[in-house]
Amino acid sequence: MTNSQETLEGPLAPRQTRLQEFWRLFRQNRLAILGLVFFVLFFITALTGLILTSGHDPLFDPALIRLQEKLLPPFSRPNPNTLSPDEFPTLGLYLLGTENLGRDGFARMLQGAWVSLTVGFVAVGISLLVGIFMGGIAGHFGQNHIRVGDILLACLLLAGGLFIVIGYVYPGFIIIAIALVCAIGRLTSRINPTSIWSAIVNRAAISVDTLIMRIVDIMLCFPSFFLILTVVALLPASIYNIMIVIGLTSWMGATRFVRAEFLSLREQDFVTAARALGVRNFRIIFRHMMPNAIAPVLVSATIGIATAILTEAGLSFLGFGVPPPHATWGNILSDGKRFIFDAPWLTFVPGIAILIVVLSFNLFGEGLRDALNPKLRER
Amino acid sequence: MLSFIGRSIIQKIITLFFVSIISFLIIHLAPGEPSQIDPLNPKFTPEILERFRKEFHLDKPLYVQYLLFYRGLFTGETVSWKDNQPVLKKIWERFLNSLPLFIVGTILTWTLAFPVGIRSAIFRGGFYDRSATFISYLLISVPGFFVAYVLIILVVTNLHVPVFGMETFGFEAASWPHRFMDRVWHLLLPSALGATGGIAVLSRYVRSQILEVEGQDYVRTAKAKGLPPEKVHYKHALRNALLPFVTMFGLILPGLIGGSVIIESIFSWPGMGRMAYEAILARDYPIILTVNFISAVLVLAGTFVSDLLYLVVDPRIRL
Repeated sequence: MTNSQETLEGPLAPRQTRLQEFWRLFRQNRLAILGLVFFVLFFITALTGLILTSGHDPLFDPALIRLQEKLLPPFSRPNPNTLSPDEFPTLGLYLLGTENLGRDGFARMLQGAWVSLTVGFVAVGISLLVGIFMGGIAGHFGQNHIRVGDILLACLLLAGGLFIVIGYVYPGFIIIAIALVCAIGRLTSRINPTSIWSAIVNRAAISVDTLIMRIVDIMLCFPSFFLILTVVALLPASIYNIMIVIGLTSWMGATRFVRAEFLSLREQDFVTAARALGVRNFRIIFRHMMPNAIAPVLVSATIGIATAILTEAGLSFLGFGVPPPHATWGNILSDGKRFIFDAPWLTFVPGIAILIVVLSFNLFGEGLRDALNPKLRER
Repeated sequence: MLSFIGRSIIQKIITLFFVSIISFLIIHLAPGEPSQIDPLNPKFTPEILERFRKEFHLDKPLYVQYLLFYRGLFTGETVSWKDNQPVLKKIWERFLNSLPLFIVGTILTWTLAFPVGIRSAIFRGGFYDRSATFISYLLISVPGFFVAYVLIILVVTNLHVPVFGMETFGFEAASWPHRFMDRVWHLLLPSALGATGGIAVLSRYVRSQILEVEGQDYVRTAKAKGLPPEKVHYKHALRNALLPFVTMFGLILPGLIGGSVIIESIFSWPGMGRMAYEAILARDYPIILTVNFISAVLVLAGTFVSDLLYLVVDPRIRL
């Protein structure tokens, strides 16, 4: 088909779908492709690692202690004279050496891969959920005002919750019950709009957008690593706490991105058209606006995964990570640092593994950013 | 201008108030009490526990504790629970130890990041640019504690210089050039490590900023009228690209506390980060809260300074 024919008969829609065009741009960035490859490899490794190292009788046992085989360098063979046959490593040699208790380094690295993966994804998932929710509200309903009555209700609910947390369960429930009754009353009854009470209760206090952005400002004041360290140290040691804490301290970026995108999108014609057609708010937000706002969020999420993996490694390194005997890359490195001159592989193997994974996420994220950037599309 | 300053100061004080409440709640509502940190210690009899709780107002309701704590903080009376030293004095000592690390790190960051960023922007897509890009991603991605150990191996085995702590123990009697060099060696590794991430991020930022300015019309005009490339790059492009970085002087303030926890604990550097880490381990609430409060103040002061600098530097901004 020649060019002129196409302009005459062809449809006006772009020849390439969005995905195709994205892939065409993304492919040009060799570093990003490299990042994608390592990303997929890491994903597969972590999944197989989970399968091979968990259960009652795993193929690679990360917890099997062989004291007579401790601190062996990588690729060394086990000594058949001192080891019973069922203690033999599955591969017949210690691929990544053994540590100070003679546990197989390869099995431990496999086990740790899953921890890094889940920490990264779950923490970023939490921060995305919170961030998109807050950003969406701030961007779409930002101009709505919160009334004094709502603030009073929220204070009542909060006070009730606090009472319950502190230990006064009974008064706490009473306060919450009062707050709920008031809320139902506010929603259903029509108070005479000219009375003084309704004037006070319905007075606009602060816009939703201001409120949410002030919360973001407050969150940004905390030194993030120090805050995470404090909370993780105070809470009982568990992997879920770490994920939740990292997630809840890193949603501010996503909120800002989504809010900024929404503020510009809500003025555009397709949103007005959707509203004119009578599409509900919920559908406008998630079906029409979100796909257009998601690109910068995706990029920051990819880089956020890298940051979360690094944070978890740092926490494990300081001794606040996943409790032993479960291996993570951070605590393998942290345990290995005492033998740094005798057994440098205990430091280098997890260190380089973390480096490669984080690097691949970062490169992939930057590639995404370039490919999704509309300014670069035409070139 | 004045109304802007007034408004933003009021806003920042309100923010600070909420930060203080939230950090207080986080710490005090977390499970476990500082009095229970060492339940197996035979010295902690119930009577001593009771006295401890009374001494530090732990038996009072939360809002009273909150008021007492922040009143004590502002009058300088708050003491550390661990050794009864005034909190502010303790933090000030550690702050003076952290300061050289911070200054050297910042100087390294700013002097290295700019040339690298500018050069890779001018030779965009070339070998230098691509390798600088890759290396900066490498520096962003590598865990700091891992590099620390690799560097320690290299430096200790090859150069035979001491690296842990602030100075070599028992070196006080040596002549001052020796002592000076000793201090420099101790300072170099941790501050260089603290600077690596900053160099990588900042040089990327410099690069993108300059690329953006190089695409502007006035740069094309300058090129078109036949100015030498150096003049175009350094006079027309660079000056405008530098604007955002003036404001970043304000934003480096919070770095005084932020990222130094891991590096300072590796190098046994008696600075603020390590003190905060030890306070967390010992559940020394006054220190944790004060460090948190001070760093929030630094963040807010930093953004305030950077807003002001923006006003001063960029005439296009009118409030």
